Parts: sequence; C-alpha cells; structure tokens
Amino acid sequence: MAHAVDTTFPDTIPRGKLNTRDLNAGQRLAVKYFSVAMLLFIAQILFGLLAGLQYLWPDFLYNKLDFNVNRMVHINAMIIWMLYGFIGSIYWLVEDEAGTELVGAKLGNLAFWVLTAAVTVVVAVFLLVQTGPGEHQSIWLINEGREYIEAPRWADFGIVAVVLVFFYNTAATFMKGRWSGISGVLVLDLIALAGLYLAGMFYSSNISMDQHWWWWVIHLWVEATWEVLVGCIMAWGLIKTLGARRKIVTTWLYIEVALMFGSGILGLGHHYFWIGTPEYWLSIGGFFSALEPIPLVAMVVHAVYDSGVHRFKNSNHPALAWLIAHAFGNFFGAGVWGFMHTLPQINLYTHGTQWTASHGHLAFFGAYATINIAMFYIAIQKWRGGVFMGSGIPHAWRWKWALALLNIGVLGMTMALLISGYEQSFVERALHGSTWAGYFEAQRSDWFVQGMVWRQIFGYVTAAGLVLLVWDLITIGKGETRPAEEPTATTVINSNETLQPSSA
Amino acid sequence: MSMMTEPVEAQQIMLAAMAGAMVVLFGAVYAFLFAWSKLHKRPVIMLAAYLSYLCLAAATVALAFALHLSGFWLIVVFVMLVGYLLAPHAIWHLCEGTHEPSTPHGTDEITSQPIPLEIKQ
Ligand code: HEM
Ligand code: HEM
Ligand SMILES: [Fe+2]
Repeated sequence: MAHAVDTTFPDTIPRGKLNTRDLNAGQRLAVKYFSVAMLLFIAQILFGLLAGLQYLWPDFLYNKLDFNVNRMVHINAMIIWMLYGFIGSIYWLVEDEAGTELVGAKLGNLAFWVLTAAVTVVVAVFLLVQTGPGEHQSIWLINEGREYIEAPRWADFGIVAVVLVFFYNTAATFMKGRWSGISGVLVLDLIALAGLYLAGMFYSSNISMDQHWWWWVIHLWVEATWEVLVGCIMAWGLIKTLGARRKIVTTWLYIEVALMFGSGILGLGHHYFWIGTPEYWLSIGGFFSALEPIPLVAMVVHAVYDSGVHRFKNSNHPALAWLIAHAFGNFFGAGVWGFMHTLPQINLYTHGTQWTASHGHLAFFGAYATINIAMFYIAIQKWRGGVFMGSGIPHAWRWKWALALLNIGVLGMTMALLISGYEQSFVERALHGSTWAGYFEAQRSDWFVQGMVWRQIFGYVTAAGLVLLVWDLITIGKGETRPAEEPTATTVINSNETLQPSSA
Repeated sequence: MSMMTEPVEAQQIMLAAMAGAMVVLFGAVYAFLFAWSKLHKRPVIMLAAYLSYLCLAAATVALAFALHLSGFWLIVVFVMLVGYLLAPHAIWHLCEGTHEPSTPHGTDEITSQPIPLEIKQ
C-alpha cells in the first residue's frame, strides 16, 4: 500500500508557533491577504451594527455618520474582504497545485500593499466626505455610486492593475509548473471575473443602462464566477482536508461549471424585471433563474455518494466544519431563499424590500463567508507549522462556539428580515400599491419594527461569534506539538468491503 | 405585461413564497434519499425518495396556483419538474462513471507529470 506522506507538513518544522519562514512565497502572500480580510470582516460587522441601530433609532449618529454611509461601508467592506479571501486562497494553493515556485512574488507583494493602501484611502474618503453633489469629479475621486462596488474610478484603475498582477502571478506559475483540471478552470474563471469588473466602470446618465451593466458585475459574480471560484477552492480543499481523489473532484468541477453557467448567466434576467429593460427579460429571467437551484440540489447526490463510498479521515476539523457550513449555506441562501423571490410574479412585491436583504445576508454569508473562514483555518494550521487540528484539541469550544454563534446569528437575522420583508411587501406593495405613503406605513408597522429589533439582537449574536472567531484564529494551535494527521480516503463498496486505499 | 397575466392576490404572497421554498427543499430531500437508497441498495428508501418528489410536485402545483401561472409560465413549471426529477439520476450516473475503482492512481491528472498530492513514497 502506497502510504501518503504529505509534503505540506514536513517533520523538521517547529510546531506550535507562527512560522512564516516555512510557508512558500505564495502562502506568505496569502496570509497577508487573509489578515486584511479579517480586519475588513470586523469592519463590515461594526458598520452593519451601526446601520441596524439606525433602523431602530433614526436619530442615532444623524449627520455624523449617516445610514447611507454605514450601509455603504458595510457592503463594500464585505465585497472587498471576500475578494481578499479569494485572492489569498489562490495564492495559498497556487504553488502546491502548480508544483513550482510562485512567479513574480515581489510584484505580487507590491500589489498587495498598493491595493491595501488604496482600500484604506477609499474608506477614509467615504467617511470624511459623506455629502456633496454627485458629478463627474465625484465619480473619479469620491464615489462611483454603484452599490457594492462604490470605490471611485481612480481606485478602479488601481484595482484592475492589481488584479492583472495577481492574474500574471497565478497564470505564469501554472505555465511554469503544470496545469491541472482545477487550475485550468480557475484561470479561465479569473479572466471572466476580472473582465466583468470592467462592466461596473461603465458610466451612463441613463439609469436603466447603468443598472443593466452594474448587474453584470454583481449577479455574474455571485451567481456564476464566484460560485465556480469557490468550486475550485472547494475541490482543492477536499483533496487537502479529506484526501478526496483528484479525478473525481475535477470531473465534478466540470459538471458544476456547466450547470452553474447554464442557468446562472441568463438568470441575470431576474434583475431586469423592473429597471426599464425590455419585457422579454421577464420570461428569460424567470425561466433560467427558476432552474438555478437545480445544480445546488444535484450536489447533494454527489456529497452522499462521496461520503458513502469513501471513508474520509479529516485532518482539520474546524476547516471541515466550515466547508460543511458552506455547502448548507449555499444551498439555503442561494437555492431556497433565491428561488423564493425569483419569479416576477412574486418579485413584483418583494423587489428591494427587506426580503431581498434576508436573501442577501444568508446567501453571502452562507456561500462565501463560510468558505473563506475554512481557508483561514487551513492556512493557520500550516502557519503554525502543520499542527494537529483533529478532535480533542485544547480550547476546541472556541471554534465550535464561533461556528455556532456566527451561524445562529446570521440565520436569526435572516428570519427576522424575512418577517419584516413579508410585512413590507404586504403593506407597502400589496395594500398601498408601492406609494410613498405605503412605504412609511410599512416602516411603522408592528411586525416590521419587531423584525428590525430581532435583526439587531441576532446581529449582536453574529458579532459575538466573530469576536470568538478572531480569538480562535489567533490562538488555535499555539503551543501544539502534535503533527497534523494525514488526510486519507479509503474507498469502500457497500459500506463494508474495503476495496482500495486512495492515497491522498 | 401579457406574459404575467394578473398579479398575485396579496394574501397569496406568503403561500407562493413558501411553496417556492418547499420546491427546493423537497428537491434536496429527494436527491438525498435517492442517492442514499442507491448507495446502500435499499429500495424502500427509493420509495421515500419518490414520495419527496411527489411533495415537490405538489409544492410546484401550489406555486402555480398561487401565482395564477398560465401559458409560458406553465412551461417553466414543467421544465422545473423534469429538471428536478432527472438531475439526481444524471449526477448519480456521472458519479459512478467517474469513480471506477479500477482506475490506477497517477493517471488521475490530465497532465502526464505526477502530482505531489497523490502517491509520495
Ligand atoms: C451565492 C449566491 C447568491 C448571492 C451571494 C446572492 C446575493 C444577492 C444579493 C446581495 C441581492 C440584493 C442585491 C441588491 O442590492 O439589490 C440579491 C438579489 C436577488 N437574488 Fe440573489 N444571490 C445569490 C444567488 C441567487 C440565486 C441562485 C437566485 C435565484 C434562484 C437569486 C435570486 C435573486 C433575486 C431574484 C434577486 C433580486 C431581489 C430584488 O428584486 O430585490 N439569488 N442576491
Ligand atoms: C452584525 C451583523 C449585521 C448587521 C446588524 C447587518 C445590518 C445590515 C443593514 C442594516 C443593512 C442595510 C439594509 C437596508 O438597506 O435596509 C445590511 C445590508 C447588507 N448586509 Fe448586513 N448586517 C450584518 C451582517 C452581515 C453579514 C455577516 C453579511 C454577509 C456576509 C451581510 C451582508 C449584507 C448585504 C449583502 C447587504 C445588502 C442587502 C440588500 O441590499 O439587499 N451583513 N446589513
Ligand atoms: Fe442574481
């Protein structure tokens, strides 16, 4: 039996403390990206809490830090920390996957600092220049005014330059080393992901056109290119944490790409129902987005098959737990919550209400926060010198409670927002026909206000979970001397006959 | 809009949304039981799987009624029903195809070089 000796955790490395020296160049860059990602995640939650409080006390920080600013920082910080997490994840795996050293590490390092400086300046400007006229100059210098990607245009160019460097780093590394199914999909996906960002820089004074292009970024990111990107990370993560076999994982990845793109690209139409785009989008958007949950459902079959056919031994319990949270979160947030409001007959009522926010919170957290957190755990394991992170590690309650509180918090917020969203759809849209008076009537109604109160309470639960998560990531594996277990998968047929060990 | 016929009655919004949620949820239960039954060769569970599919179909019909779907939208409903029914079969088929236990290691990769994640002596 060929026994696996994973080169990721050589015996010579001192364990239990941070060992940046023993990370490869890509991974050294990755931990920088991950660290900033965590800082921005904290910022996201802080500003979310402020924005939530302003629903309850409208005077709170009025004219000092207005709702629109808090909301903007909340969701832009989210997009940026997730992108940092993705970039970090790819730097983390690129040398391992390509089997060679990172090409252009110095340039990559420079790009990291340029990007981080730009993000700092953009946020500072958001906070310092909160009001003023919107004109060409403000688009260039202050705020581009497109939800989620509000950075001004000077920063856009910076972002594009940095992404080009990142793309060069990864593609050139694979070119120098070797290609695999995962890296092939990854690089093609990155081209699409970065190319789409350009659509968000397009300016038109026609609001329908502006929104048309803006959705190319947001929708085609989260429902197509990001899904495929996390598919690649997940594929690699399964090989790493479970010892799943490469061929299986890769084939699955191809199928996933086909299904996701097949329904997700034209599913774009579910954002073109009411923004002044032609009416045929009602049919196209309704049809294709109605099919979007099917790939998510189909994944269940694969998960059952794999967990039944292979006996996995997992080397990183927190990471695996977060990968499982990702699978469920993606299914519920995108699949169930997405389908609920995707047909135009329903969306007519729910469009732009707290119902949308309910879906937005569960989907972004469930699909994308989770998998990034899993990667943070994979990284910290190696950063501490490849320590044991299986069952019975000291202070395991921390990661378990962080997992529980974050998930309970977001689920609680999701349910609270759903209640508010239902009330809003009913009162504002159905009863009062989307009038201004109807809007205020809905905002004042008891159920709506109750929902906002509970959202805030569960927001604190989420924040508590985040505090624990940060504490755990800083301390986990400290002083641990046991080496990491090897992840292995054993193939079994009919759950009893062991066929063949699959060396990971 | 001609495609959309009449808007949903206010009272039906919740019903329609819940029916929508049930469609996807029963889809997952069906997929889960389907795979479970095949894996452990338990035909009884397959019965439960198709029962979940029936629930899915019922939820879809409820959705169609709540939203007064007609014309083109009934085609959408039909494609959904077929898609949910067949997708688990297709994926199972693919799983079996890609998991052939006789595949020797090392040929997993599309490139000819060995990969460090695989056998290392
Ligand atoms: C992980 C994947 C997904 C994420 C992160 C996500 C996130 C979001 C967010 C944040 C919004 C609000 C956008 C805004 O500010 O107006 C939104 C809107 C929407 N999403 Fe998703 N979504 C995902 C997948 C899906 C899927 C699979 C469907 C359909 C089956 C869907 C259906 C919709 C619809 C119809 C809207 C428009 C809501 C409105 O009219 O206000 N989403 N999504
Ligand atoms: C402490 C916890 C949080 C609180 C109190 C909070 C609060 C808020 C508030 C008040 C808004 C503005 C909604 C509106 O315009 O009416 C918002 C929007 C949003 N938040 Fe959060 N949030 C929290 C955590 C999160 C997390 C963990 C995520 C995802 C990872 C997230 C993703 C979003 C998204 C995508 C939107 C835009 C939704 C839309 O426009 O439909 N938030 N949040
Ligand atoms: Fe979308």
